[in-house]
Amino acid sequence: MRALVQVQDLVKVYPGKRKEPAVEAVRGISFEVASGEFFGLLGPNGAGKSTTLGCITTLVRPTAGRVLVDGLDVVRRPGEAKRRIAVVPQTRNLDRDLSVREVLTFHGAYFGLPRAERAARADRLLAQMQLTDKASAKPLTLSGGLQQRLLIARALMHDPKVLLLDEPTIGLDPQARRLLWVTLQALHRQGLTLIVTTHYMEEADRLCERVAIIDHGRILTLDTPQALKQGLGGGQILDLWLRAPQPIAPRLQALPGVSRLEKVESNGEGEEVERLRLFVDPADGLLDRVLRVVREGGADVRHVSLTAPSLEDVYIHLTGKELRE
Amino acid sequence: MTAFLALLRRDLLVASRNALPLLMATLTQPILVVLVFGNILPRLNLVADEFRTVMVPGLMSITMLMAGVQGMLVPLAVDLSGSREVDERLLAPLSVLGVAMQKVVAGTIHAAVAGLIALPAMMLLMHQVTGVEVHPRWWVLPPMVVLSGLLSAGFGLTLGSNVQPRYSGLLFAVVLGPMMLFGCAYYPWVSLDVLGPVRYLFLLNPLVFMSEAMRLAVTPDVPHMPPGLLLGGLLLFVGLFGVLGARSFERRTIL
Repeated sequence: MRALVQVQDLVKVYPGKRKEPAVEAVRGISFEVASGEFFGLLGPNGAGKSTTLGCITTLVRPTAGRVLVDGLDVVRRPGEAKRRIAVVPQTRNLDRDLSVREVLTFHGAYFGLPRAERAARADRLLAQMQLTDKASAKPLTLSGGLQQRLLIARALMHDPKVLLLDEPTIGLDPQARRLLWVTLQALHRQGLTLIVTTHYMEEADRLCERVAIIDHGRILTLDTPQALKQGLGGGQILDLWLRAPQPIAPRLQALPGVSRLEKVESNGEGEEVERLRLFVDPADGLLDRVLRVVREGGADVRHVSLTAPSLEDVYIHLTGKELRE
Repeated sequence: MTAFLALLRRDLLVASRNALPLLMATLTQPILVVLVFGNILPRLNLVADEFRTVMVPGLMSITMLMAGVQGMLVPLAVDLSGSREVDERLLAPLSVLGVAMQKVVAGTIHAAVAGLIALPAMMLLMHQVTGVEVHPRWWVLPPMVVLSGLLSAGFGLTLGSNVQPRYSGLLFAVVLGPMMLFGCAYYPWVSLDVLGPVRYLFLLNPLVFMSEAMRLAVTPDVPHMPPGLLLGGLLLFVGLFGVLGARSFERRTIL
């Protein structure tokens, strides 16, 4: 598959204002998205996700580097690039003066679709997004989930090659969120290329074929969710809470099959209980060896669990635990 | 060009659906002023007869300025700092300048229609009042209305792209109020020679040129500004606000 979207050494510095310093939002990001791929940009608030998306959609002018969509430089040939791009923005910017159906037909008109074609396509998309019975309503009277589906329908009106969604499920209830996932997966199966930004790990894990984790304007890692989780040293996470008369962590860490050990801070309750997180390869006899060390140390085990790491573990591991504004 | 026309069609459709409130916002001021100054005060012998003729073009220009500014300023300021409906337009296959120009054209149409409705409305209200010497010159009126409309729409674009919505009320009080009083709407600029050189300060006010343009077009017998100065001033302000407005608009839309 060839790359449909190419982001090359992208840099964006927002110039400072009177009292505010300049902000380096993106500091050299490169990635490619193949035609038909479902790609995710994952990162905390202020990591540079939306700016990167903005540069692809021509609404943010790159300071350096370039973005190609279908081989077209979006800065030099914005008109042609924009015909290939569709955006579902974070701000639900539906035209409040038109009806739901007119939102679609006018969007088609902006892209030069003939009248009959835009009518037919609007009706088809209304049906596909289950909005037919709302066709004559005003967009702002719709619920958040319906507005989001209307935004997707609008984006699809001009038959784009790539659909970019900025935090699409923010503020949606769990049902609407799941329905949106199903919708996006269906579009992906139809061959549409999708790029989504999110800070919901579960969403990225479930939807995306490849994920770039971004922080402070740089890509920290880029791979399939599966590979990212496996890359976290060892296959699984062994959580062990115990009360030991003497420190037992060094001996556990030295065991074959244990690649890393972290002490998890408890939240005050039962302070004498030590909480350990071991990144382990659960090969033959590992649990046995761990428990033997625990017994020999005279420790009292309070809790044991063995789980597969989630993308959230990868994310927290890479971006740190400090709170962002 | 397709996108430009489609956006214009959308704006005209929405405006036609909101015709009644738009009309009320546009016509309330001139109608009330005409009632008071064209009807009541003359009967009380409190204003000179000539005033009725002088104020007709002035009220047209004020109506056009308000239509251009109201139609642009508040919606644009709200859009840019909140609803971001403008982003859909910017993602259409059209340049940023094209989007800004389309807004100006829609604003010009809005202002021109407002001015051309205000004129017969005022005439109707004063049809029994004597001494109203309004004789529109039909070949001068259209170009003057278009130029004045462009000026007010460009002014609206400039203000809307620079002002936060919460300051728009302040703007009406502090900028538009004085503009209207010193905009030669209620007196011809030529008669200001009694003020000496001070009258040239009035030329900083773009509304002066709009009022004089309407004066030239609908009350040609009232003394008016030399056509060269008038046309030069109109074109200068249209160009100035066109450039300033487009620049501010781009600064607010493309980061």
